[in-house]
Amino acid sequence: MKKDLFIRFLLGGTAVMASYLIIVISPWEILGGIFAAFPAVMITAVLMAGISSGTTNAAKIANGSVYGMIGGIFCAASVWMFLTLTHNLTISMGLGLIIWLFSSILVSSIKERISKEKMIKTDNTKSKAAFAKSHLRNAQ
Amino acid sequence: MADLSISGLLIRFVLGGLAVVVCTVVARRLGEKAGGIFAAFPAVFLAALLTAGLDLKGEDLISQSIVLSKGAMIGMGINILVAIMAGFLLKKHGWKKGLLEALGCWFIVSMVVVGVTTYY
Repeated sequence: MKKDLFIRFLLGGTAVMASYLIIVISPWEILGGIFAAFPAVMITAVLMAGISSGTTNAAKIANGSVYGMIGGIFCAASVWMFLTLTHNLTISMGLGLIIWLFSSILVSSIKERISKEKMIKTDNTKSKAAFAKSHLRNAQ
Repeated sequence: MADLSISGLLIRFVLGGLAVVVCTVVARRLGEKAGGIFAAFPAVFLAALLTAGLDLKGEDLISQSIVLSKGAMIGMGINILVAIMAGFLLKKHGWKKGLLEALGCWFIVSMVVVGVTTYY
């Protein structure tokens, strides 16, 4: 268990470090710009989930990361806002991280609630249709 | 070519490694969806801010950090698109082929966005 986590730590760290090395070493500025936002952690996490537990769980990780990425936009926007207001990097980064976590969880739970409501509506329509059908049969 | 910073390398290594470990632990305890949130931990963005914090001071640091935040917002936008594509492609073609295709999508979209923002 600990060995597995250590290997994941090494792989995750190496992936993020490698994308930084590409930015620095690349002779083409455009390649550096592209790799500045490489989703190294997500790719490594999906890869490791794929190897250890297969396609379904890897796809679930990728789907879950969408909420984290949306939170990432809120994080970057709030760091920008707090930097302008406070001129303090540590405070802005700390608040940005808190906002990242809360906004990711909030977006994820809103999406889950919408999906549940949709499912309940579909179930209700199906049961109403089944009830109407059986009522019609009895009448005949 | 920019200068290689050893502290920048180390910060990225630690943050990237920790993000993958936390993602794994959360996925095992709370499910893959919750783990996925940590797979999108903004390690690269935070590492860039921390490295800027080591190299710069005062107003230079604040203005550089604001530029990094603006760039990160564009990067996150691309990554949202890639994560949605990855979720779809992995289910459709299996994790190996799906992940490669998602990486291809990321490269093409990033190239277009960086090309447009650099030259126009």
